Amino acid sequence: MSTLTFENVTKRFGKVVAVNDFSLTVQESEFLVLLGPSGCGKTTAMRMVAGLEDVTIGNIYIDDDNITDLPPRKRNVSMVFQNYAVWPHMTVYENIAYPLRLKKVPKVEMDTKVKDVAKMVKIDPLLDRYPSQLSGGQQQRVAVARAIAVEPKIFLMDEPLSNLDAKLRGSMRTELKAIHVKTGATTVFVTHDQSEAMSMADRIVVMKDGEVVQVGSPDDVYDRSASVFVADFIGTPPTNFLNVNINRENGTVNLVNQHFKLSLEDKCAQILKKYYKEKLILGVRPENIVMVDEDEALFTSDCLVSEPQGSHQVIAVELDESYIKVVAPAQPKINPGDIIHLNFKQETLHYFDPDTELSVGHACDDE
Amino acid sequence: MNRRKSRYLSKAGRNTIFYTFIFGLLFVILTPIFFVVSLSFLSTREAYQYPLPLLPELVTDFKLEGGEKGYLVSVYDKFEGEYQTVQDTDDMEKLSVYFRSQLSVYMSPDEIAEQAAIYDETGEPVYFNGRKNLIHNYNTFFRITRDAGSAFFRSIQIALMTIAISLVIGGMAGYSFARYLFRGRNALKFSILFVRMFPGVAIAIPMVIILVNLGFYDQPIGLALVYSVGAIALTIWITASIFIGIPVSIEEAAEVFGATKTRAFIRITLPLALPGLAAAAMYAFLGAWNETIAAIILTQFNPTFSVVVYQSLLGSVGQVNLAAAGGIVMALPAVFFTFLIRRYINQMWGGITF
Repeated sequence: MSTLTFENVTKRFGKVVAVNDFSLTVQESEFLVLLGPSGCGKTTAMRMVAGLEDVTIGNIYIDDDNITDLPPRKRNVSMVFQNYAVWPHMTVYENIAYPLRLKKVPKVEMDTKVKDVAKMVKIDPLLDRYPSQLSGGQQQRVAVARAIAVEPKIFLMDEPLSNLDAKLRGSMRTELKAIHVKTGATTVFVTHDQSEAMSMADRIVVMKDGEVVQVGSPDDVYDRSASVFVADFIGTPPTNFLNVNINRENGTVNLVNQHFKLSLEDKCAQILKKYYKEKLILGVRPENIVMVDEDEALFTSDCLVSEPQGSHQVIAVELDESYIKVVAPAQPKINPGDIIHLNFKQETLHYFDPDTELSVGHACDDE
Repeated sequence: MNRRKSRYLSKAGRNTIFYTFIFGLLFVILTPIFFVVSLSFLSTREAYQYPLPLLPELVTDFKLEGGEKGYLVSVYDKFEGEYQTVQDTDDMEKLSVYFRSQLSVYMSPDEIAEQAAIYDETGEPVYFNGRKNLIHNYNTFFRITRDAGSAFFRSIQIALMTIAISLVIGGMAGYSFARYLFRGRNALKFSILFVRMFPGVAIAIPMVIILVNLGFYDQPIGLALVYSVGAIALTIWITASIFIGIPVSIEEAAEVFGATKTRAFIRITLPLALPGLAAAAMYAFLGAWNETIAAIILTQFNPTFSVVVYQSLLGSVGQVNLAAAGGIVMALPAVFFTFLIRRYINQMWGGITF
């Protein structure tokens, strides 16, 4: 088990800055997820750890060893690639054994090792097959087995699930996580799928345009999103954003727009005491908008579209020429055109500065 | 006519056209090959007959009777259905030579004299036959052409050198075209084909001068270098497209899992590129093996086999059946080589599955 440290790492491709001044430490046995849209630099950051890309500026350490200029084979990391990258002209057995042979593991030990990891990822009946005879999911397991077998210091995974179909992706997610628990390997996992990140990560690093936007536990990035970008990127359906004016009267803080006037409870307004601007972007997650009786309603609207999901339903309501989405219980069933009364769970509100789009604070924050 | 019937007929019509076309194609492709093979087995007399026989006779029928100068020897002509007189002599040596060179029948003077003795005894015409030696033309070709045997091995040597040079240089270039982005890549890739656009004859004099200056004139290496120019271009195109088809990530995976760059290439990429390399090798081989014009210009005392075959058509030794035999001998290594690597070629057309 090892730690991995990025120290002010910058990567440029010509004039394009792919990763900018990236500093981070991955703890022993941690499962760290690099999350962001395509082109945000997450894969580049990982490839620099593997040694497949040169570092322009900065240093990368595994434990206390500077590995910045080492060739890939001397770094003792292993990697699972997006397209599996299993070797098509070798059998499953040879695929897993070849890295061990390169590392000069004795033959008997190698054989036991191959069989052990094959059993662990449930491909032991397939050892004599060639990759072309395997399904995508099975090839993925071969890639994982190969990566585990070498007992790396750092385990790198580059969008390993994105080529699988949705159902398989769900079950592989669970298995990868279980393997991580079993092996305790320090893992860096790259993905653009926020639900994958939420469900697997100990810590998530949200990246955008080569910069780190937020680092935190899944709960942190979900409940205390650092910016409009994070709140929008994480969660399905995404957070609803509403432009409001701040109206302070008699010690209470009201958030006002043309549809409603929201009087904040005292504890939820604390964080806004130090915020002096007139305008605010209010972020409300869809499950934090509740249907209420008419007399408790903050505002009333009619349902535009409803999407039943079995366990719940997603209702879209037109507001300000755009629409907001509400996650409601499956019953009672809401149909398009139905009048519904809505209110917000105040303690879950996100406040963002409209100029910087950065978080001003969250209603749930204590001072 | 109801609709189903007309559809049936139109299908039959389409099939007829299809198969007519296919068999027409087969006819066009196979006829010349058949013709050359058959020609290479004909005796000289047969080869210059009109009409030309489609297949060689295996046995020649003779009639021997008394003639003005000794014995009158006739040969049965199947087409005319009668015996035609070919020699009138009492010199058995001369007859034997005639049988061998014109009729491909190997009979010693004594054997012919035996038949003549029978005639002397009975006074009746003697009918006998002689088995034709089918590989007579092949033997003769190697006997009478100027060092055909060593030319054959020289050609193989040149072809193998061409393969080696073009695979090493072209393969490396193909790999860089597939893997690396650099300024002017597409322009360069296109301009490589440029070298194939010049006819060899047009640049013959400069080629001779350059090779003489290098000391490579009339040397196998000189021809191999000239052939490599064209072969490298083709090799680059073939190997670049095959390397593009091999994902970089499987090479990178090998590097991450403990291989050096070189080792990853040799152990991972190269085996997967084998079909492309085999195809490129085949083209290089065929190009070098079959080429004649440059070889005529660039050799003097050490001709290649194609030059020898070409020369067998010229001058006093020029005979079509001998040239046909030489042509068949020349085709064999190319056919053999292509069969040798056909597994990889098939893989190339079938594509690599990942």
